Amino acid sequence: MTVPMGDPAAAAVDPAEAWAAEPEPAQKPEEPSLSMGEWLGRNLFSSAVNSLLTVVFSLLVLLVVRGLLNFMFSEERTWRAVKTNMRFLFTHAYPQDQYARIWVCVGAIAVLSGLSIGLLARTGAGISVKKLSINLMGTGAVIAVGILLREPSAVVDGEGMALHRDLSAAAGDSFVDWLDANAFAVLGALLLANLALAVWFNFQGTYLRAATEPRIAHGVLVLASGGVLIVQQYATGEIVRESFADAMSDRAWWWLAVAVLAGAGAALWFGLGDARRRNTFVPAMYVFFVGAGVMVLSGWVYPWGHYAFLEGEFIAEPGSTVAMTTRLPWTVMWALLVGAFMLGRMLRAARAGPKLRVPLNLLWVLTPFVLYWAVLRDPDLDWDHVLSTDIPMAVFFAVFGGLVVWYLTHPRIGEAGRITAVVLVAVAVLNWVAAYFDWYAMLQKARISFLLLAVVALLAHHFAGDRSQRMKLVAAWVGTMAVLHWMVTLVNSPSTVETPTDALIGGFGITLIVAVFTLLLAFPMGVLLALARTSNLPIFRVLATGYIEVFRGVPLITLLFFFTLIFNLFLPQNMSLVDIAGATIGFALFSAAYLAENIRGGLQAVRRGQYEASDAVGLTTVQRTLFIVLPQALRVSIPPLVGQVIATFKETSLLAVVGIFDFLRIADKVISAQSEFLGVKREGLLFVSFIYWIFAYNMSKHSQRVEKRLGVGER
Amino acid sequence: MSNTDQTTLAATQSGRPPFYRDATVVKWLAQVFTLVLVVFALFFLTTQALENLNRQGIEIRYDFLGIGLGSDLREGIDTDPDTAGRALWAGAVNTIRISLGGIVAATILGVLVGVGRLSRNWIVSRMCSVFIETIRNIPLLVQIVFIWALVATLPNVELDQGPVNGLLHLSNKGVSVPRLHIDDGFYQWLIFLGIGWLVGSLVKRRQDRRHDATGRDTYPVASFVAVLAVFGLVGWFAHPVFGWVGAIFDFIGDGFSALTPPVVQVVLSLAALAAAAWWIRRFLARRRTPAGLMKLTDDDRFRIIFAGVGALAVIAFVLVGWPGLSSWIINSGTDLLEVIADKFGDGRTGKPVDIKAPDVEQLGNFPNPGPAGLNLTQGGTAVFLGVVLYTASFIAEIVRGGILAVPKGQTEAALAVGLRRVTMLRRVILPQAFRVILPPLGNQYLNLTKNTSLAIAVGYSDFVQVGQIVYNQTGKTLEVVSLWMLFYLACSLTISVVVNFFNIRMKIVER
Repeated sequence: MTVPMGDPAAAAVDPAEAWAAEPEPAQKPEEPSLSMGEWLGRNLFSSAVNSLLTVVFSLLVLLVVRGLLNFMFSEERTWRAVKTNMRFLFTHAYPQDQYARIWVCVGAIAVLSGLSIGLLARTGAGISVKKLSINLMGTGAVIAVGILLREPSAVVDGEGMALHRDLSAAAGDSFVDWLDANAFAVLGALLLANLALAVWFNFQGTYLRAATEPRIAHGVLVLASGGVLIVQQYATGEIVRESFADAMSDRAWWWLAVAVLAGAGAALWFGLGDARRRNTFVPAMYVFFVGAGVMVLSGWVYPWGHYAFLEGEFIAEPGSTVAMTTRLPWTVMWALLVGAFMLGRMLRAARAGPKLRVPLNLLWVLTPFVLYWAVLRDPDLDWDHVLSTDIPMAVFFAVFGGLVVWYLTHPRIGEAGRITAVVLVAVAVLNWVAAYFDWYAMLQKARISFLLLAVVALLAHHFAGDRSQRMKLVAAWVGTMAVLHWMVTLVNSPSTVETPTDALIGGFGITLIVAVFTLLLAFPMGVLLALARTSNLPIFRVLATGYIEVFRGVPLITLLFFFTLIFNLFLPQNMSLVDIAGATIGFALFSAAYLAENIRGGLQAVRRGQYEASDAVGLTTVQRTLFIVLPQALRVSIPPLVGQVIATFKETSLLAVVGIFDFLRIADKVISAQSEFLGVKREGLLFVSFIYWIFAYNMSKHSQRVEKRLGVGER
Repeated sequence: MSNTDQTTLAATQSGRPPFYRDATVVKWLAQVFTLVLVVFALFFLTTQALENLNRQGIEIRYDFLGIGLGSDLREGIDTDPDTAGRALWAGAVNTIRISLGGIVAATILGVLVGVGRLSRNWIVSRMCSVFIETIRNIPLLVQIVFIWALVATLPNVELDQGPVNGLLHLSNKGVSVPRLHIDDGFYQWLIFLGIGWLVGSLVKRRQDRRHDATGRDTYPVASFVAVLAVFGLVGWFAHPVFGWVGAIFDFIGDGFSALTPPVVQVVLSLAALAAAAWWIRRFLARRRTPAGLMKLTDDDRFRIIFAGVGALAVIAFVLVGWPGLSSWIINSGTDLLEVIADKFGDGRTGKPVDIKAPDVEQLGNFPNPGPAGLNLTQGGTAVFLGVVLYTASFIAEIVRGGILAVPKGQTEAALAVGLRRVTMLRRVILPQAFRVILPPLGNQYLNLTKNTSLAIAVGYSDFVQVGQIVYNQTGKTLEVVSLWMLFYLACSLTISVVVNFFNIRMKIVER
């Protein structure tokens, strides 16, 4: 009844449990509510072994939590190092006076996300009020425990001398002394008592059949074990801490946070009164918006990061500080996100969803390019060249290609179409051969456009249709050309934003950018490789298999070294790749091999009948692959694909090894080399882990939800 | 338009479409075109590289492997290698060592956590899932660097701490634990164990048969272990009896060194041909039906051609591509046999295996963990713990998935016949889950091995890090990168072969 879903170990009900469970009246199936004692008995103390496990693991949890909290809240920690370097961690050396560009990017992403979520996300079930309030209060409790538990080891006084705590001298409290000295003896005694009790229960028959009192005694013992630890820590810690007013004032803020969290939780819990209303669900998005809003608001209340690191000086007073420069932008970002979400919901209500889905997806694909090359880089366009060469060439390819597409997609084009396509292919290949032998000069983008046109021409007859269909294809071609030529122009223009490193931006920015571009490059490659590997054409299959196995067989780091150190050797003399581009290619080639394997799994899940049916209605191979097989295969492989996205995101941390100033490298090498924070590493690393964790965890949770939904909805 | 229609019609009537619309022709054209493109791209890149190297006056040669290396390694079988090749070898051994140790440790931890996550005990299952969700969502590199920074905060090692401060020696220099030392008479003792294994298997089979015949409990596994233990015990003292085995290897070694390169070349070529012929024969046999040979598809023909061309390529390589190969085989084979002969040689009367405890010794101005224990430096500790925790979190999920994949009826049946929970898990659930678990587990082992290359971030002397030292000193980047890739490809191949072997053995034999 209380069994978590899909848990066979729990599903095999212990006889004692069944005995205990039977007489109870049938509960409401959605939310079986047990009393505290019942819940404990069922889940923690159902047998002697279980009780023992509970005790041991509770102690372990306490130790781990205490260690972690001590680590985080210890006065030894220099969290200042992280706060001061916040800007550095996220954008590295991006010039401060150009910072508005970064906010434009964040804003664009906020608006797009808000729109997409508002428009496309299903409302679904969210978080129940009950869970929400428990979580809030729990967070408050954890923080409270953290404040209580923090250990003031080696506090530094005014002259930089470490004040080691000397209990026997400072305390004067015999109980504290005694407790500190005998903490482990007490713990041991409690554990033994637990054991004895557990053994006794075992003789008595199973645990649940025993009377209530011994069980309560047992619970008290367990709590006492933890209590001893807490009291010991608190008591010993307090002695030293009292003399430090700083710590107290800092703690006051934390206590305020505890009060706010616990208060909000309690207000939710008791404000809604009865149990049924506590079980109502709030959409997760709203919870997120409110949470983010509170975070933003806290910037106006609490002096987050009132620190600046200017000209080697550490400045803790207001001025050009992180909090001052970011709280307004963050508030704007929040407003944009919520506003876009509302707009999305309105559009959804107006049933604009299906119409806007494609443009929105297109925008998502284009955004990284536009943001990186047009906004962050601020290209210095050579207008003469743009007007005299770039625009005419783009127009030429758009018009010429558009006509070709229009002509070739005629349903009754026949042999003429094939001949045209073959001629175009021949010319496109000739362009490249000519480039190799230096016969005639041509802009690289013209060659690429021509090749693209040739490929489109070869495939065109698969997409033949009526007027509107053909118009759409022509429009797609014109759009592609416009974007392609515009992008090439942007990439070729020098950047006005000057940074001391190769990469325009560093820190978390480069992590995100590399991850996004890696996936944009790797995904089409992965699809092609998967198709080739499952194809029945042997040469394609052998090539794809060889590629996949080789790239999966070598460590990513060697590939990165190859592409950042020596790939330039393999390029013609006048060409070279900067580190960051090389690394992105390395990541993309590596991810493509893994993506291909994931997609192959999806392709194999497409049933034979689908192929036979599409053959029976006379689809060509290209049509069958594009319209029948791939959509189904990709749908099936969404969960592993998301897994690969997470993996790629995590792998971007390897940038640090090949000498690019990414998030990890700054925390690991750069901050610990600053004269103020010499050797301060662990704080930064913990922060980096936390940021990575938030992103990866949320993605994996989301993919699990999608998986569940797909599993339910499947056939 | 009408003209083209007519030709199409004519072609259709003649039974076969024109060549440019013949599916077979177009298919092969496309494939050959792609192949040419790929080959050309590779050719282009290679020629560019050769040209660029020429311009810089660099040649691709591997003779730097014999050149001395100016720097020491932090740890490994040889911390002060004479040559770059020797250093790389030490690095490779470090990689293999940490990978194997990591695989064992990660498997144990992963299975424990995976089973723990399914525990009925709320706090146990919660802790296990928190462990998994935390570890697997943080990049491994971040974890390794973080553990490295944590190890740095451990207390200093001091001289008076030795020889043993407990069996575990933890300091900011790393970790030192006791180790088994393969001592003098180990290999002779191995012979005893081998014989014990054989005899034990015979005994086990006999006990099995008796069990099948009578239904009584005959303890087959226990008797196997007992026989092995008896042989081991006897061999512990009696192992010098086998001192003469070395002479046999000496004899074989003499015979091997008497071979001449042309003989080896011929043997290798014949072996390649025989392998290709065997493969093609087997392939054709599979296509044979009672009615005769089935029609071969394009694919089949391609495979046959591929096998033939492959064999020819091997022969060309052996005869022309690398003529030194055969003498290299003879030399290294002779060396290897000599080493083996020495190991099994006469006059080794010491204990087979010894246990050594950690100690502390003075190196320069600083005390360090001494060579007696099994040492992991700071970097080694970070890499080991990092890959073990990280891989364990993935293995735990795989184990959980595997256990959940066992039908519920199995659990119910096991409980119904009165098995205890632990026995049920060990005897009923895990063996069945193992089949589901094995393939993804193999992938994780592969990932673990590859992930040890992150050692470069914390300076553990693994193959990649040593490679970096080598190319920093010699400038032979291209060669070192090629060695990296070859080495890891070989590792991956080995692991997948081993996993596949077990996979095939574990398969349910169906009717």
